[in-house]
Amino acid sequence: MLARVTITAQRWPIVGRRPELETFERALGSGEFAGLVIHGRAGVGKTRLADECRQQAAAAGHPTERVTGSRTTALLPLGAVAGLLAGGLGRPDPDGNVDTVALFGQTRRALHERHGGRRLVTVADDVSLLDAASLALLGYLAAQGTIFMIATARTGEPVPDLVSGLWREGRLERVELADLSRTNLDTLLHLALGGPIEAGAAREFWEVTRGNPLYVREFVLDAMESGALVERSGVWHLEDHVPGTTRLLDLVEHRIGQLSAEARWVVELLALCEPLELGYLETAVPLEVLESLERAGLVTIAVADGEVRLAHPLHARVVRGAMPRSRARAVLLAQADRLEAASPAPGPAALRIATWRLDAGGRPDPAVLVRGAHLARYAHDFRVARRLMEAVPGEHLDGLGALLLGEALYELGVFDAAERILARGQQLPSSEQVALRLVVTRVKNAHWGLCRPEAALAINSEARAVITSRPLVEELDADEASVLMFSGHPQEALAVLERIKGTDRRTRTVRAIVGSVALATTGRTAEAVKVAEAGFTDHAALGDELAIAHPATHVINQVFALTEAGRLAEAGQLARAGADVVASQRVPIAQIWFAANLGRVATLQGRLATARRYYAEAAGLAEAHRFAGPRCLALSGLALALAMLGDGDAAAQALAARSTGPAFGFLAPEQQLADAWTAHASRRPADAAQLFRDAAAWAASTGHLTAESWLLHDLMRTSGEDTSARLRGLASDCDSPLVSARARHAVAAQARDARELAAAADGFEALQAMLLAAEAAAGAAEAFSRAGDQRAATAARRRSSSLAAACEGAATPGLFQAAAVEPLSGREREIVLLAASGMASKDIAERLFLSVRTVNNHLQHAYTKLGVSSRADLAEALGSAT
Amino acid sequence: MTPEQIDLVQSSFERLGPQLPVMATRFYQELFRRDPALRSLFATDLTEQEARFAEKLAEIVRAIPRLDELLGHTRALGARHAGYGVRAADYQTVGNALLAALAAVLGDGFDGPTRQAWALAYNLMAETMLEGAASARPIGS
Repeated sequence: MLARVTITAQRWPIVGRRPELETFERALGSGEFAGLVIHGRAGVGKTRLADECRQQAAAAGHPTERVTGSRTTALLPLGAVAGLLAGGLGRPDPDGNVDTVALFGQTRRALHERHGGRRLVTVADDVSLLDAASLALLGYLAAQGTIFMIATARTGEPVPDLVSGLWREGRLERVELADLSRTNLDTLLHLALGGPIEAGAAREFWEVTRGNPLYVREFVLDAMESGALVERSGVWHLEDHVPGTTRLLDLVEHRIGQLSAEARWVVELLALCEPLELGYLETAVPLEVLESLERAGLVTIAVADGEVRLAHPLHARVVRGAMPRSRARAVLLAQADRLEAASPAPGPAALRIATWRLDAGGRPDPAVLVRGAHLARYAHDFRVARRLMEAVPGEHLDGLGALLLGEALYELGVFDAAERILARGQQLPSSEQVALRLVVTRVKNAHWGLCRPEAALAINSEARAVITSRPLVEELDADEASVLMFSGHPQEALAVLERIKGTDRRTRTVRAIVGSVALATTGRTAEAVKVAEAGFTDHAALGDELAIAHPATHVINQVFALTEAGRLAEAGQLARAGADVVASQRVPIAQIWFAANLGRVATLQGRLATARRYYAEAAGLAEAHRFAGPRCLALSGLALALAMLGDGDAAAQALAARSTGPAFGFLAPEQQLADAWTAHASRRPADAAQLFRDAAAWAASTGHLTAESWLLHDLMRTSGEDTSARLRGLASDCDSPLVSARARHAVAAQARDARELAAAADGFEALQAMLLAAEAAAGAAEAFSRAGDQRAATAARRRSSSLAAACEGAATPGLFQAAAVEPLSGREREIVLLAASGMASKDIAERLFLSVRTVNNHLQHAYTKLGVSSRADLAEALGSAT
Repeated sequence: MTPEQIDLVQSSFERLGPQLPVMATRFYQELFRRDPALRSLFATDLTEQEARFAEKLAEIVRAIPRLDELLGHTRALGARHAGYGVRAADYQTVGNALLAALAAVLGDGFDGPTRQAWALAYNLMAETMLEGAASARPIGS
């Protein structure tokens, strides 16, 4: 029986996984799939199934490979896939660009050649532990058809973007593994033990393991080793209850605890540095030790290449967890020295050596660290880039290194430290190109991170003493314009942009980022849309470079420009598509901007609950990722939506939250909409009107023409104040139909022209600005009624109600007009709103500096017009109007 | 399997006695009811097929206590079936048909523990046949 048990430990049977294996066969055979993802809980058999797939593929003549993520390999980009890399790592040019495209392409060609064009079936065990650059390479190779990837991932752990990206494109097959059923567990026991098992033992195995295959395996091997599970007359018996413990981890610890000192040394070495060559291990320990470990099912020795590994990732985790740090360090450093002595030439070995030294807290080759940081940056893994650059000794740091570290710190939201290292970087040797990028990154950090636009402009201006060659100066101009634009000075930003010729693609791209927003803000919306489109095209052709915004920025700008152009439906559609893309790529800043723009579009459409949701999402993301400026903007939008929904308290809370962070100059006058509407919803109409007026004046002085139009129109909507003259002026200064529609509405409202108001409603409806359309229709109803045309009045009122139904609970004063048979005067409306909120006449009188008698008189008039007889009915009458 | 389960399979099989051909006929009826597409894999006249099935089943049931011999046998059987393109899902269907046929012929004698014992025995056969089939079938491109 012993011979059979040995076979069992080395090749544990696989049971109940045939459907999954068939799925793998189909996926590999069809050519349509780039890989297979195996999901499941710990111990459910993901690794085992992946290896079985690999074996089947090997049996069918496929070349195969295996990469394993671990805490150690995750320390250095591409650490886990060192075995796949044909040549060495890419080396950055003096300007800091690592040619990853060439590196990946070279790897692909080498693999293609090595395997005669056959797909390399590659097991990536536990993808969540792979570093981003390794994933990028695997994703690239899989997408190119160079490898077929078999990835395992634990249920509940996030699947890395590259894997989920292939999945979304339908290029990945996927299986979800569950624990074994009782029948399958009994089948497994029978096959593993090679004979029947006594009923009590079978039940105990089931009760303890609940069908978790790894647990069963560890349990059986442990019980056999300890003599608790024995065969008598062809039937297996469990003499004791499970020895020791009933937890899987304890079980593994128990098994490893039983090992001899030599065997334990091998297991520890593998836990830290696997895979290791059989040849090396044979020189270090007697062969019997390795054989006994293999018999115990703790290590596997590959026949093909002689690579020795631990049998299961859980073993590695347990061993590492139990090892004193000092001992782990000693083992890692000794292995690094050994491998370095054996293979002095740079190449894949250099990567493993550096990884081990890093893990040991030692000092690896700074050149390897810098290259690693470049690769991490390419994969947008700023955490790793930061850790690697921080491990580079100060005397090895040049301008480029400081740029890498500073940029990573900025991306990670550590703005003070970013400022320090970038300022220091400007003193270190670097090319002019790198010097420029240090400036640009430092300016970005000062502006967006530290929220100090004046400091950002000062850094930009000082840099002009050092950076003098033509295209680079243009980039400084673009940078200055950016600070001006996004601190609330679009007019000045446009003036600076005039200086830029835009002869090279990079400068044109940077110019477009600022230009499209500045043009849209100042009312040149058609141009703005075109510039954003061209910017995206230029950026796409630019390739990957340091210190330039994410390409999605152009799409965000296009959304903004379309919104300002009154093309709300298109803006919403584009923003939703963009939001999907950046959510899958996890680019938080772009996610925030898309969400905020979606909130803005929804606000203008009158879909206020939707707006509230998007703004809340944007604010939450901005808070989580410490983007203070966007957070301020999003909270302003949130307060605006809440106030227009009639919830003054919630709106005030959003503004209070906003005031805990720094102010943000971008669209600052527009942000005042939130303050004004909150004042209005909090029954402070006079404050509201003053806030609208002041913000409109601010907008006018800085060139925010579309915002000025919005503010003046809302002043008219909330107070009835005549703003039609300036709105008409803005309509002729801007090319936006939305700005024109506002002017038309204001003029018609002032003239109480029923037909023109109805036409204004048409205009808004055509733009999908439903709330404004509903309000204009309500105004038309009032005007028709005043003119004695009750039939037209009723029709307009009905239309207003149906338009308002799309506004998700909007509670704006313009809607209340529809409830009145005769129009309420401005004063009456003001008092009715206060009374409907439950305020006593005395309090209303105090608030408005009127006598109680006057208040009651106004109320009586309003009751008559609204056809109600008490305060209680008032709220209902107003409610029915919305 | 437990020794008791092996007994249950063997003793219930013996109880079939002269009813074995009836059970075989019932098995194919149950099978084609569950998956009519399988019918085309067999000859129009099933008489011979039913006899072969009964014989094979008797052979397997007898061999259950001698695992090595049995598994060698079922693996080879699986490898022979590989060419037909039989998949894991088909094995499931066959298993259900077998349990239904046994239940129909044995009646009350086919109780819960007997059913569980047969289910396990069948699963053991199916897993080893599938393993045999997999190692015999070339895959991929």
